[in-house]
Amino acid sequence: MIRRFLRSRGMRKFRRNRLALFASGIIFVYFTIFLGIVTTEILDVTGVTEAQLRHGTRIRVLPRLHPGFLQSSSTEKRYLDINWHKDRLGRVFDRDLSSVELPRQALGELDLAERKVIEAPLGEVIEQYEAFLAAYETLDELFYERDDLLDYMLSVELDLKDARKAGDEAQSEELSAEFDEIQAEAAEILPLFDEALEEAEARLADLMPPPTGWDGVVYGFRTFLGSDVSGRSIACKGFYSIKTAFQIGFVVATIAVLIGTLLGAAGAFYGRWVDNGVMWLVSTLSSVPYLVLLAVLAYMFTGHEYFDNPTQYPELQLVKLYTAMGLAFWISTCRVIRGEVMKIKELEYVQAATAIGFGRPYILLRHVIPNTAHIMFINFSLLFIGAIKSEVILSFLGLGVSGQPSWGTMISNSKDDLSNFFFWEVGTASILLFILVLAFNIVSDALQDAFDPKHV
Amino acid sequence: MWAFIVRKLLYYIPVYLGIILILMGALRIKGDPAYAYLGKNATQQQLELLRQQMGLDDPFLIQYVKYLGKIATLDFEEESWAQDGRSVRDILIRSIPPSLSITVPTLFASVCISIVIALISAYFRGRAVDQILMVLAVLGMSISYLVYIIFGQFFGAGLPQIKGVYTPFAVKGYEPWMPLLSEGANPINWVTYCLLPVIIGVIVAMGYDTRFYRAVMVEESSRDYITTALAKGASKRKVMFVHMLKNAMIPIITRVMTTLPFLITGAILIEIYFIIPGMGFQLINAIRANDFPVVQGFVAVFAVIFIISVILTDVLYAIVDPRIRLS
Repeated sequence: MIRRFLRSRGMRKFRRNRLALFASGIIFVYFTIFLGIVTTEILDVTGVTEAQLRHGTRIRVLPRLHPGFLQSSSTEKRYLDINWHKDRLGRVFDRDLSSVELPRQALGELDLAERKVIEAPLGEVIEQYEAFLAAYETLDELFYERDDLLDYMLSVELDLKDARKAGDEAQSEELSAEFDEIQAEAAEILPLFDEALEEAEARLADLMPPPTGWDGVVYGFRTFLGSDVSGRSIACKGFYSIKTAFQIGFVVATIAVLIGTLLGAAGAFYGRWVDNGVMWLVSTLSSVPYLVLLAVLAYMFTGHEYFDNPTQYPELQLVKLYTAMGLAFWISTCRVIRGEVMKIKELEYVQAATAIGFGRPYILLRHVIPNTAHIMFINFSLLFIGAIKSEVILSFLGLGVSGQPSWGTMISNSKDDLSNFFFWEVGTASILLFILVLAFNIVSDALQDAFDPKHV
Repeated sequence: MWAFIVRKLLYYIPVYLGIILILMGALRIKGDPAYAYLGKNATQQQLELLRQQMGLDDPFLIQYVKYLGKIATLDFEEESWAQDGRSVRDILIRSIPPSLSITVPTLFASVCISIVIALISAYFRGRAVDQILMVLAVLGMSISYLVYIIFGQFFGAGLPQIKGVYTPFAVKGYEPWMPLLSEGANPINWVTYCLLPVIIGVIVAMGYDTRFYRAVMVEESSRDYITTALAKGASKRKVMFVHMLKNAMIPIITRVMTTLPFLITGAILIEIYFIIPGMGFQLINAIRANDFPVVQGFVAVFAVIFIISVILTDVLYAIVDPRIRLS
């Protein structure tokens, strides 16, 4: 069935559509990432299991809400980072480390993914820390001095502008003299501050060297999109969510297409009470608005012992989404397939098969359903994106994925950070989602053009 | 005609019974709703009281029949669990105007704008204008609803306020405009609260609608009567905007009709994000708060509204196209 389908005329037409092929390429890239994440667990080639990957999305890599690559760190941001590191280091080093049973383990608390405290005797590590602390203290003093100076400079500048506007010659001259004085002072302090900042960063790098080699590449990947509210890597979460999205898309689309095709084809083919039953079910489920239906079905599982318990059964958390969406989505497929089978069952080859003496179920499975393959295919791609988009909405309503990262939870958790102009998490999730949905839209359009050109 | 209407009504009775059956089953399948609401610290007495109030201690079939009786007599007097002192009917009636004040302008504006864009696109079919518009429509379709809402609120309400010059849109919230319902209500405030959600709703709807309407028009413009009109020397503009548009309106009206029931259910996401106390907002909040009577009542009413509008659509169709009546 699949080989015949791939050789069909519609498929040849599809292959001539360059844009659709490019979109298929994008979907293939996503699919490769999905396969990569899944195979790491099954084959365990790299020594990384999927559980570790999932865990990797939960480790702290940076200070909270750290911006990604485009917003190059301003001086204030760098100072705040140093401050953050100093607080963390202080929490460990302020204890008397020589009296702690396992000092190495205590130091391990400081590790930020691949960026670890140096491997050295304890005394040396403490020495490095004290050097960092000394550098930090000079930096801190300079920072307040610089801060005051910049504030003062700003106020004088504003006064100067006002005076110039008012045309007060004497005062503006006085103020401009003062302004020059401050600028001269600033020219002294600012380089000093920059020096101190670099010094503190260098001491920090001595204590916790930035990883090099392969680890450096991994750490670079983790940090290039910044970090979320609890300092976790946005890049890791975003790319791991591809797996969540594909899981949901595949399972939901498969369930929905299978149920829809079987029921729709059976209803149209057998007619009478089968058809009435199927149509009753379809009109019943479609008489409840789809988001309400999804919400009620997802509500069925909230607080369930197995299906809503992310700490103990992280693998079972998606079952509620599969069920809810699978039950809500098969309706559209069922309608389309039913209409198509209504046409097919009158065709000559079905009559011929009946005349030969094949049984009805055999004709249905062997002759009728294979001829709806293109509709199944189009519906699969439509439902795939439908499921991924609904996951985002359900997560926002608090009925979605729990226990593993997903674009929906990323978007709905970080929507409030947007008011602080922190768009990295929302942006990453939306863009990854947008590209996938766009590619699927283009592909399903092209499929529709190729197989079903009359369809509106 | 009357036979057709009666047949439709009879057809939808088992459908409605099915909806209520599925709904009541889904709400009870995960366990006792009273326990889910009160939690594990509730005493046996409280649980029993709540169960008796709602009739939850009866067998399922008896509950089902009783509830059907309540729906038939429009008796939604049960008190909400989470919102003290308000009956389901009270919540229902109060939440309809906010929903309508978002959805009706949204539907009206999105249909008008989409038809205009689709006409432009169909008029310049195959040319650059058409291609650009359709690329934009596909791009617009691919962006998640939630992303539209989040960024819409951010850029629409956030940025003008930060500048502190003028605030055309409220960030979130709602204020009724009808003086009957609340004294001292100001229609201008109401507009401020509703404008941004409506604009976002229109933008969301536009991608899909424009494509659909354009496809309808393109199909319609390849019919024979268009060729005839063009051959007789009518100008292309007149053919497009007079002959074709009239005929293209039939599928367009169908599509608009099918979206009518969603006017009442409201734009759930927009209501929740902008904290507009409409139907969708109340329903989702009731689901979150395990407020069983409200969930049950709301879905039952949703389904009634939906079925009535479906029947209305069918009847309208039957008036327009007599062939349907006989099938």
